[in-house]
Amino acid sequence: MGETKKVLVERLFAQHGGALRAFFYRRVHHRPDAAELAQEVYLRMLRLSDTDAIRNPEAYLYTVASNLAKEHRVLERRHESTIDIEDVSGHEMLAELSGITEQIETEQRVKRLREVLRQLPPKCHAAVVLQYWHGMSYEEIAAQLGVSTNMVKKYLTQGLAHCRRRMARMA
Amino acid sequence: MRTTIADEAAEWFVANRHGLPDAGQRAAFAAWLKSSPLNVEEYLGVALVALDLRHAADPGVSLEELLAQARSADDTNVRAIGNARAGGESARSARPAVRWRFAAVAAAVVVLSVVAFAVLRLGVDHPAEVRYATRHGEQITQRLADDSLLHLDTDTAVTVRYSRAQRVVEVERGQVLFEVVHEAGRPFRVVAGAAQVVDVGTRFDVYLQQNSTLVTVLEGQVLVSLVAAPQDASTGARSVPVHAGQHIRVADGMLLAQSTPAETQRTTAWLRRQITFEQEPLATVAAEFNRYNTPPIEIETPSLRGLAISGTFSADDEESFVAFLRSLEGVKVEITPTRVRVSRR
Repeated sequence: MGETKKVLVERLFAQHGGALRAFFYRRVHHRPDAAELAQEVYLRMLRLSDTDAIRNPEAYLYTVASNLAKEHRVLERRHESTIDIEDVSGHEMLAELSGITEQIETEQRVKRLREVLRQLPPKCHAAVVLQYWHGMSYEEIAAQLGVSTNMVKKYLTQGLAHCRRRMARMA
Repeated sequence: MRTTIADEAAEWFVANRHGLPDAGQRAAFAAWLKSSPLNVEEYLGVALVALDLRHAADPGVSLEELLAQARSADDTNVRAIGNARAGGESARSARPAVRWRFAAVAAAVVVLSVVAFAVLRLGVDHPAEVRYATRHGEQITQRLADDSLLHLDTDTAVTVRYSRAQRVVEVERGQVLFEVVHEAGRPFRVVAGAAQVVDVGTRFDVYLQQNSTLVTVLEGQVLVSLVAAPQDASTGARSVPVHAGQHIRVADGMLLAQSTPAETQRTTAWLRRQITFEQEPLATVAAEFNRYNTPPIEIETPSLRGLAISGTFSADDEESFVAFLRSLEGVKVEITPTRVRVSRR
């Protein structure tokens, strides 16, 4: 995957990250949403047979997921407005409130993520910090920690999986 | 350590960010994604965590301290992984992640008949008899008087007879996971087809199939024997101990001398309403789906019945499974109101 294309795709993914996050983190309360989105992405992934998509399955996955999350968000907004169309001030208040909720949620998520990180073994913790806060490559991290690149991959895998499991449990 | 879908997703995510993945790795990754909607969900989840991690930089954490700790720490429990895993072989899980799509299954309890007559008749040790059953596609969890739990899978029926001397559960059909509370002097006995299981306080699964009964022990130990015919007590005399992580099959009234290792994650996958299969014949997998769904999947071309497939699906997500079948080369799927017909294209 070309570097620029990868960056583009990740930016696209980040743009709709909010909606996706709602799907996946709040899976306990919004199970059907998350399951439905994953199923829809999956069904589209199955159609992935053209060479372009195979050349970059990850980009394809993100594009599909982002588009679906965006569509869902549009639908949600429309839904909200039909409910509150009679009461403009109520609607405004609701929009304001949801903004505040989102902000609180982000703060809580970051706080929780920092706690979860501290549960990791030292090398694993360090690898995650060097990769995600300092943007180091696997090779640079390997040199810093005095381990092989494969070990760095192992630490990052362990760290990500742990964070994912803990964050998914956060309702 | 147990590998979960989260581990696999994280491994792929990390591998995809190391240089340019070659064609083989990309194809293997695509195959992994295609083998389960759960894989797709988990990969997106991991990607979001990675995104959040970038924003979670903690000024309270000193990099110097962290590095000093990391360099002096030795973690012998972590071993390096080669590139082979993410590179060539198809990486998919036989072990499902925890997911509860249906929180309120228990609400759909169908107690077909309740015959309880011992409760009020003091002094008579007459067993209270209660029958529990699930419909097609339904699952229930039932707590018994002694706090033991019965998890009933789809199309399952049991009769529970509790007396002061013993506790007996008869499995008429289907699959049941038992979580038994031990009581000294009041054994817990399960009868399923030709098999009899005596429990010593534990968790085990009993699956009554067409011509056999499969007993899998998850925790503790049970004794498995044949249900003795009244006139021939000798056949019931022999019992085989089965320990945690082992299973034993009683088929055609025969009991093997020893239990064999079981994949317990797979045994209990149904509790999470998942169907997991690894290189299993299409006919077997379709039969599993048909336990939960209508219309039934029918394989019309005999040669397709043996086709080996791999994947993990929600038990009631027939749609995804059908889409998966359609993506297989040379396979045609037709959906009619009463049948899902699978044939050779």
